[in-house]
This record gives sequence, C-alpha cells and structure tokens, in this order.
Amino acid sequence: MTILETLGITKSYLIGNRRIKVLDAVSLAVAKGEFLVVKGESGSGKSTLLAILSGLDRPDQGRVLIENQDVTDLDEDALAPLRNATFGFVFQSFHLIPSLSALENVMFPAELKGDPDARGKALTLLDRVGLGERAASFPHQLSGGEKQRCAICRALINEPRIIFADEPTGNLDSVNGAAVLELLLELQRERETTLLMVTHSPEIALRADRVVTLKDGRMVADGGHA
Amino acid sequence: MLNLRFIGRQITGAKRQCVVFVLCVALSMVTLVSLGSFSRSVQSSLLRDARALHAADLIVHAHAPLPAPLQGRIASLAGQGELLSARYWDFYSVVQKATGEGTLLCDLKVVEPGYPFYGQLLLASGRPFSQVLTPGSLVVEQALLDRLRLRVGDALRVGNATLTIKDVLLQEPDRPVNFFALGPRVFIPASDLTSLGLLGRGSRADYVTLIKVAHPDRLQALLSALRGAAGDSRVRIESYRSADSRVKRFFDNLLFFLNLSGIFTLLLAGFGIQSTLFALLKEQERTIAVMKALGARSRFIIGHFLAVTLVLGLLGTLAGLSASLALQGLLPWLFRGLIPARVTLGVSGWAVAEAALIGLLVVLLFTALPLYRLKEVKPRAIFGKEESGGFWSRSTWVIAGTGALFFLAMVLVRIKDLKTGSYFVLALALLILVAYLLAVGVLRFLKGRQPKNLPLRQALKGLFRPANASRSIVVTLSAALAVIFAITLVERNLDASFIESFPPGAPNVFFIDIQPAQKAAFAASLAVKADYYPIVRGTVSAVNGQPVDAEKERESRGDNLAREFNLTYRHDLLADERIVSGKTLFRRDWPQEQVSVLDTVVKMHKMQVGDFISFRVQGVPIRARIASVRTRTSSGLAPYFYFVFPDSVLADAPQTLFCAARIDKRQIGAVQNRIVAGFPNVSVIDLTQTMTLFGQIMERLSTIVRFFTSFSIAAGVLIVVSSVFATRYARLQEAVYFTILGARRRFVLAVFAAENLVLGAVSGVIALVISQIGSLVICRQGLDMSYRAYPGQSLLLVLATTLLVVCVGMAASFSILRQKPVTFLREQADE
Amino acid sequence: MTKTTPLSRLLLPLLAISLLAGCQKEKEPAAELAVAPPAYQGTVVAVGDSLTAGYGVPEGDAYPARLEAKLNQAGYRWRVVNAGISGETSSGALSRIDWILRLKPDIVILETGANDGLRGVDPQLTRQNIDRMAAELQAKDVLVVLAGMQMMRNLGSDYVERFAAIYPAVAEKRHLILIPFFLANVAGDAALNQADGIHPLAQGYRIVVETVYPYLIQAIKRKTAGKQGR
Repeated sequence: MTILETLGITKSYLIGNRRIKVLDAVSLAVAKGEFLVVKGESGSGKSTLLAILSGLDRPDQGRVLIENQDVTDLDEDALAPLRNATFGFVFQSFHLIPSLSALENVMFPAELKGDPDARGKALTLLDRVGLGERAASFPHQLSGGEKQRCAICRALINEPRIIFADEPTGNLDSVNGAAVLELLLELQRERETTLLMVTHSPEIALRADRVVTLKDGRMVADGGHA
Repeated sequence: MLNLRFIGRQITGAKRQCVVFVLCVALSMVTLVSLGSFSRSVQSSLLRDARALHAADLIVHAHAPLPAPLQGRIASLAGQGELLSARYWDFYSVVQKATGEGTLLCDLKVVEPGYPFYGQLLLASGRPFSQVLTPGSLVVEQALLDRLRLRVGDALRVGNATLTIKDVLLQEPDRPVNFFALGPRVFIPASDLTSLGLLGRGSRADYVTLIKVAHPDRLQALLSALRGAAGDSRVRIESYRSADSRVKRFFDNLLFFLNLSGIFTLLLAGFGIQSTLFALLKEQERTIAVMKALGARSRFIIGHFLAVTLVLGLLGTLAGLSASLALQGLLPWLFRGLIPARVTLGVSGWAVAEAALIGLLVVLLFTALPLYRLKEVKPRAIFGKEESGGFWSRSTWVIAGTGALFFLAMVLVRIKDLKTGSYFVLALALLILVAYLLAVGVLRFLKGRQPKNLPLRQALKGLFRPANASRSIVVTLSAALAVIFAITLVERNLDASFIESFPPGAPNVFFIDIQPAQKAAFAASLAVKADYYPIVRGTVSAVNGQPVDAEKERESRGDNLAREFNLTYRHDLLADERIVSGKTLFRRDWPQEQVSVLDTVVKMHKMQVGDFISFRVQGVPIRARIASVRTRTSSGLAPYFYFVFPDSVLADAPQTLFCAARIDKRQIGAVQNRIVAGFPNVSVIDLTQTMTLFGQIMERLSTIVRFFTSFSIAAGVLIVVSSVFATRYARLQEAVYFTILGARRRFVLAVFAAENLVLGAVSGVIALVISQIGSLVICRQGLDMSYRAYPGQSLLLVLATTLLVVCVGMAASFSILRQKPVTFLREQADE
Repeated sequence: MTKTTPLSRLLLPLLAISLLAGCQKEKEPAAELAVAPPAYQGTVVAVGDSLTAGYGVPEGDAYPARLEAKLNQAGYRWRVVNAGISGETSSGALSRIDWILRLKPDIVILETGANDGLRGVDPQLTRQNIDRMAAELQAKDVLVVLAGMQMMRNLGSDYVERFAAIYPAVAEKRHLILIPFFLANVAGDAALNQADGIHPLAQGYRIVVETVYPYLIQAIKRKTAGKQGR
C-alpha cells in the first residue's frame, strides 16, 4: 500500500531578487516498507524534496499525502504528532540536542509522547547499536559515528512508520558510514519501516529497493537502480 | 585604511546586539548628564542662596568695633571701587512702651543703607525696605506688637531714643529658619545709633560689616587682603562660600549618594556593553576566521571592530544626549521644593562634555577585553572545529586588571574621597564575589534535579548546555538586582522610620526650664495634653571607679562623657525605646542605686550591665549600677535621655521640667505669648517649621532617589536583554530540534519560559538574600535605626524580577519561534 | 595654668593636716551622701550658673576649684563644692535649695541672676528669688555670700540700673556679705574672656578667685567665730 504520495510538487526560492525553481512538478509514491533512495547532484533539489515530503517545508504547488491523509496545509501544531510518532529523522549533521546526554536524546521523543517506559526503550536501543556504555555521554563527547548511531536510536524510539534520512553518512568516514548504513537497513527491515533516504552515493543507491533521480528539480528517473 | 562599508554592514548585520550596545551607551550618557547637570544646578543655586543667606559676598564679624588697620583697608578698597560696604549692629535690649507700662526684650538690628546686598526683606505693606526705614523709624516683627499691644504708627522707647513703628517684618533673608531668638526682631536705621546710647564699653553686640565685591573673580583676593589686615584680632571674616550651612551639607550628602548610584549604573551599562560585544563578535567568528585565513592581520581586524565600536558609541552618545534634553523638562518638576523655583535646572555644557569624556572611557574600558580576544580567533574556526581554550590567559588578566584599575580611578575622581571610594569599590567586589559563590552553589544544586515536568526538565538541561553563560548571567543579574533591591529596602525603612518619627500626633513644640512648682499652673495655662519630663543636670565623674579624663574625652570627635548631661527619672521606657541589654529597665533584686543608659553612651565609653557609674549632681555624688542598656527605635525629634534613673534616686534633686506638646499650628503663636508672659523663665522651641520642611525634603528625596535608581533598573533590563540575545542561537537550535521531534509550539514556549523563569527566580532570590543582609547592616550599623524586612515587598520584588526576565526573554525569542525549522536546517546545511 | 588632678586634691589636705597637727580645729561631720569623706573643717557650696560651673574651661579651672586650692594653701581645711548649672536662672537656683542643703554647707556663695538678665526677665522677679534663697539658707544657719552682677549696657540704662540694684538691696535686707561685682576687672576685657564675650577664660577666673577670696575669708571667720561662740 502507498504510505506516502506526492502530486506535482513545485517549489521555488527567492534568492536576492531572483526566483529560483528548486522543484518542478515532482510526483512520487512510496510503498509501505520500501527503502527508497532519492539521488542527485548537489543543487538538484533532493534535500528540499525530502523536507517537503516530511512536512518540514511546504510546496508552492502540489499536495503531499501521508497514509492517504492530505498534510500539505496542516499547521505546525497539527504536524507535531506526525513528526513525533509517525516520522523519524536522521540528518547529515546529526542535530542532537547538545544539552542532553545520549540517553536523554533518545528518550526525548518518547517523553514528548508521554511514554512511561521511555527510559527502558531508549536503553535497549542504545545497547542494540553498541552505545550502551556511552549512554551518559553528551554529544560533544561522542565521535561522529557514535552521534549518528545515537540519532538513529532517537529516530526509532517511537516506532515511526517512515524514516527520513538526509545524507546520513555524509559526515562520516567510510568505515563508520558503512556501519551506520548497515544499522539503518537492519532496523528498517526488522520493523518494516519505510525508509526514505537522500544521498549522492551510488553505492548506497545500489542497496535500495527503488531509486529516484532528480536533476535540476525534475524527476528524471524512477525505479530500479539507476 | 578603514573599510566603511564593511563597518556599516557589520552593524546592520547584527542589528539586535548593536541596538543593545547603543542603548547601554545611551543609558550611561543620560545618567552622567543628568547627574552632572543636577549637581551643577544645585551648586549654583546653593551659592546663590548662600549669598542671600548672608546678604553679602564677604562678612566681617566682631564683638567690638573693627581694629583701625582693617577699617582703613576697607575704606581704601571702597575708594578704589573694589567693594561696597554696609555695617550693622545686632544686640539685645529691653524696649519700653512710650506710654504706659510694658517692657520687652528684643533683638535689635541697626542697619546702614545698603543692607542687604542680596536677598530681600519682606514687609507687610509690601513697600521696599530702604524706603520704609527712614531716620526715626522702626520695622518690627508682629510678635512685638502682640506682646506689647501696640500698632503700626505707635512710638517705642529704645535706649535713650523714642522711635516710631513704621511697618511689620515678614521675612529676613539672613536669618536662618531654625534660628531661635529670645525676643522679636526690631530694625533701626544706623542714623539713630548714637541717639540710642546703648553701645560702648560694657555692652555686648555683634559688629558686622557686609561687603559686596564689584568683580566676583576678585572675591578670594579681597578675602585674603582683609584677613591680612585683621591680623590676630578676634575678627572673623568669611565669604558666603565658606559658610558651613546645613543645607549645603545635606546636598553634599545627597549628591554623594547619587554619584554612587550613578557609578553603579555606569558599571552595569559597561557590563552590558561588554557582553553585547562579546556576543556580537562570537556571531562573527566565522567571518573573522575567514578574514584571517585570507591573510588579514589581527591588528587590521581589531581596528575595524574598534571602529564599529566607536561608531556605535557615538550613536549611543547622541541618543543619550537627546534623551537628556528631553528629560530636562522633567527635572524642575522632580526637584521642586528642594530648590528655589527661580533656579533653572538645565543641561549644562560642562556636564555634557564631562559625560562624553567619561562615556568614551567607559566604552573603551569595557570593549578592551572582547576586542583583544579577537586575536585568539584562529582560521580553523572556519571548519567549526572549536577548541574552547582557556579564556583567562595572562594577557587577559592584564587587560582585565588594567580595566579594573581605570575604573577605580574614575570612581575616586568622582567621589573625591579615597577612603569612601575604596570602601565602595571593595563593597562592589565583595558583592560580586558573594553573588558568584551563591550562583555557583544554586546552579550546582539545580544541575542534578530531575523534575517530573518535561518542559521544566528540558529547561534545566538547557541551562547547562555546553558553553552556556548561565553562571555569568545569574551573577550579573543577582549583583545588579541586589543593589537595586537594597536601595529599595533601605528607602522603605527610612520612610517608615521617618513616618514613625513624625506620626500625626507627634509633639511639635517643646518647653524647657519649667520649674517643678510651676507645673500645675503651666499645665493649666497650656490647656493642651502634654508630656512632662524631669531634667536634672549632672556630670559623669567615673566609670567603675576609673575617673573620666576630661581632656581626653573632649578630643573625641563625637559626643563625649566630659560634658553636662540631662539626667531624668522614670519607671518605664519611652514609646520609641527598647532594651538591648539587661532584662528590665531596673531590677528589683539589686540593693544599690541603679541607672539605665542609652546605647550611645556605651559607644562613648566601654561599659556594660553591672558596671558602676559615678555621677555628680550639683556637687552631690551618686554612684549607680547599670541595670539596662536601651536603644532608640526612631530617629525623629522626640526627646531622649542618655541616663535614666528610678524615681527614688533623683526625685528630690534640683530639676526643671521639659514639656513636649502637640499644638495646632494656628494656635502656636498665641500659646507662646501666653506661656512666656506667664512664665518668663520658660523657653519655647517651635518645631513645626522644621518638621514640615523636613517632611517635604524626605518626600522629595525619595522621589529623586527613585528617579536615579530607575537608571540602574534600566541598565539591569538591558543586561537581561543582552544575555537573552547572547544565548539566542543555542535556543533557536533547540527550538528547531524540539519541533522536528514533534513538540508542539506550546511545548517550545514552555521550555523557553521555564528557562527564563529559572534564571529570573534564581537571580531574584540570590539578590534578595544579599540585599536583605546588606540592608540590615546599612540600617543597623550605618544609619543606626531599626530594620524591618518587609517580606511582602521582598516577595513582590522577586516576582517582578522573574516576570521581567520571562517577558524580556520571551519577547526576544518570539522571532525565533516564527522561524520555520527548515530554514534553520537549510542555513546549517550551507555551512 | 595648672589643672588639679583628683590625686593632688587629695594630697593637699593631707599636707595641710600634717602641717597643722596640733592646732585645735574641730572636724566637721562629712556630707550625708559623700563617699569616704576626709576630715574637713567646713564646706562651702558655690551655687550659681555657668560662671560658677565654669562653662568652656576644664572644671579644675573654674573658680570653686581654684578657690578651694587657694584656701587649702592658706591653711583652711575647707572644701568648696561646685554646684553651678550652666544656663540656670534665679528661679532654677531657688528650686534646688533643698538639694544644696543636703550637702550641709556652712557657707554658700550665691552667684545667680545673669541668665535672668540675658532673657530680659523683670528684675523684680530676680530680686524676689534671691531674697527667698537667702532667707531659706539663713534659716538653716548657712552663711550667705552674695555675688553682685551687672548687665550689659546695650540692654538699656533703665533695665541695667534696676538689675544692678538687686544685689545691694538684698544684701542689706538680709545682712549678707556682698561681693560688689563678681566679674570685676574681668568683664569687658577681651583677653580674659571667651569669644562669646560673656564667659571668662581660665585667666579670667583667676582674677575672679582673687575677687571672691577676701569675702570668703570674711565669711569663714564669721562662721567659725559664731561656732566657737556657742
């Protein structure tokens, strides 16, 4: 079943006094449990597309449907429960909350939801990714790989149905990057989570169920491995 | 080579920080200019008043005709056109009604034409004094007409002459308000002096020569010349400037206090400037790092930012000056009643120049450190790899130390008293130290807390985020608020003490020297309920057997034991007394004679309950044991006694009675006449004038104090704003993260509010603790009055502070909340 | 100008006693409230205002202290008690006669009225007060030496004359020993008075003592003769 669908997404930005079209009538459907990669060169609009798909940004034209619900015009407060329980985010720059420890970072979405067992779940996840010993450390005390693994736990704690990952290995060395990718895929398969990943790495694209390619804001390929 | 465009862009790029910076400088300016102008206005008006108070520029005073050399000098100087002189003679005499019985002791003033050179004599008819006081005429006070039952136009016998009363005197410029005369004033023209036949050998009079100098800048020179001509004789020559008037001293004290508060405001504004600049430069760190990577020298960069600082400083100065000019309209209303209406309170050019100079110094002082730290920015900061190196390197200490020394020097220049200036700076240092220790303690306590409430928990975690400025914010806020709270508390206590001292029913007239046998008749004549206190004159001859060394005692600056005291006897405490040592006023279980002493006596000479004091009451020795030590709780004009005995010891001693009564203002004149006529040995002291004046002054004072204190509060607000801005980036970041993770706007707002709440409340509580202790010490030790903690007001202060910090914090954060998370992420990704 | 310390005041009488050992002078009973009284021949109480109290000079320079020293030096083992109160009027002095009598004085030097004059009090009142004081003292067998006072000229000739007349009048009526003018040779001399022109300096009081002394000796002789006559 289609868990996420977009119709004719168009987005442009005003830079200085020029209007730059970043996305041009992009339509996409993602199936439940699918691992989709959005590939493209720098400036092709893939990060913007991810932002719109995940509700972090709004398109100028077009619609976004999550589980058949039109979320395009929902305000921030209405989007909040989606972000908290339906989505999970993993970013290139990790974006962990600096004032919280690894454990607290992971617990946070669950606490927001009001989950009484947030701590237990968080510890389990951290153990799972090998950060059990580092649970009390703060982000500035963790290496890049550790930070990303922590972020992944955070993204997963509320058992989201869709994970959005924006170049998750972009800031990691090859060893860590590979480890993180494996971790993501493993967890994704375990829980049958839909994984939407933006990357410019062909190697990662090879692992996907489906690859969508963007060039200059337009979708130029969809399906298979390009 | 300065790149002006670069400077301009820097300013527009960091609008918020720059606004705060400019406001801080503007605030300094306003404080300095207002204070400076006020001070100058007061000085000039006081000098003007001083001239009127003495009716002349120079006053030559003697108890005999002036020695010939001096007379000659004055005459020759007058001949050269350097000065004008006019003499007067002031002495008591018993005047008689020309017809019928009636005599009265009067205070005569025989004046030459020219008197007074300054100030005006107001007569009931409204005519000019010089026109009325022609040869053979008299100008008298109403009291004389009342006492002798005479009218204007009647004749009066003064000495050997008979003169006609021509007018009634309403106001005499050179007679101070609190002057107590034994008889009404009578003005007589100098042409009639010889016909009076009252002066000569065996008479006692004040011989005064008033001098008006033709050219004001010659004042000092003429003063020295005349003093030289006077030689060793007992002639006293003063100028209106050197007169030690109580009003002048009062204003000296007020200005001193205002100067202190002004300096404190400057300090706060300075810190505001410093922290704003730190934050501004931190935001620019990447840019600076890039510049360095491109080969720019530190000197070049510092120079540019220094230029930015100076431009901002200039803007602030102009803003401050405009504000001062606007305030100019407010000042006269503020200071009315304290300064005669004819004085114009304006912005003086000198004050502006002085303020600009000091403002520049403050800006340079407080921006030195942030600018110097620019050197530390390394090009690799471009890559975001920041190593938080030690902030306090040796050179940092040197700069901070130099800055502190300069500040101390500035303080001393303003206060002009080394001891007080040092105490002030030490007190400030102690304040910051205590605030620091308390802040560290409280923050440490908070760090481990895990409250159940999620937003609150997140707020606490946020306070301790890496590279947080929570400690410095709390210290700065606490210290600033502590001073503001303390000023408020002390002022409230002063108010209360004053009101207590002059409650509505407080006595306003004192009668002294009533003989005990007269009491019944006196009370009947007074016809008003009053309190009577027995007064027995006596001296202290020894304490615990040790004789009192009269010479040594007289050397002490304050009160001493070598003088005559007014002893009294009663069996209970006065309404405004309480016992500080000993259980009761007197003890039943002691066989010896007892005495209760006031704590001021203990300050004069070490003694305690149980010690023995030997008194001499007109030759009769009395040895008494100290049963208790009392203290006064009010500081008004109520009577008080150093030594109180039980009835048994002094009841038979020779004594007079002292009466304190409350009399309707309109009746006082009639009562005075009645009493003095019926009981000529009784002297009357009328306090109403003093009390009313005092009350007005106190009220004006607290308004003025609050006015200048509000500058400090404004500085405090700026510091709050500045700290909120400084942590803006980190909060923005967290807000975005929360939103992405699914937090509602409500949650984000709650976390912000909670963070500000904690900061505000912690600072407020620490400030309250410090200020309560400080105010207690100031009131008890410094002002010698009782202290009340005002818990209600204190709570209000803390709440207001917390509210202020929350509001300011939220206002500054709103723009953050409106930002879409994606914008933030995009900006991040750009790096 | 020497200042008599308490110690030297104690020594002088002892010295006097050893010198006069063998003379038959009766010892006077000590005052009721005095502490450990040494043996005095008699008590003189100097009653008055600031001119007696010694306003503005150390107590040792006021005239009673000097007078006592002079007496003791001359061999009279008498004590002179300073019962002066600054600012007191004749009314005040009158009201404390009982207190003064507690000291059991043999002789009283009465110097009062100056403050009445400074306040312009009716000389009639002053005269009445002094008269009554003299009567009460004499009734208790106290010999009164009256110090005559004069007022300043500026108060007006009428007043000045009426004031000055008080003292001779009362002295005659009550048969008192009269010192014509207490401040003779002192009043009006700038060098002998303080800046206010009213209160003498120490050197002024020296002269006052010289003025008072002969009249006091007269009184002492009259008193001791009276006693021996009994």
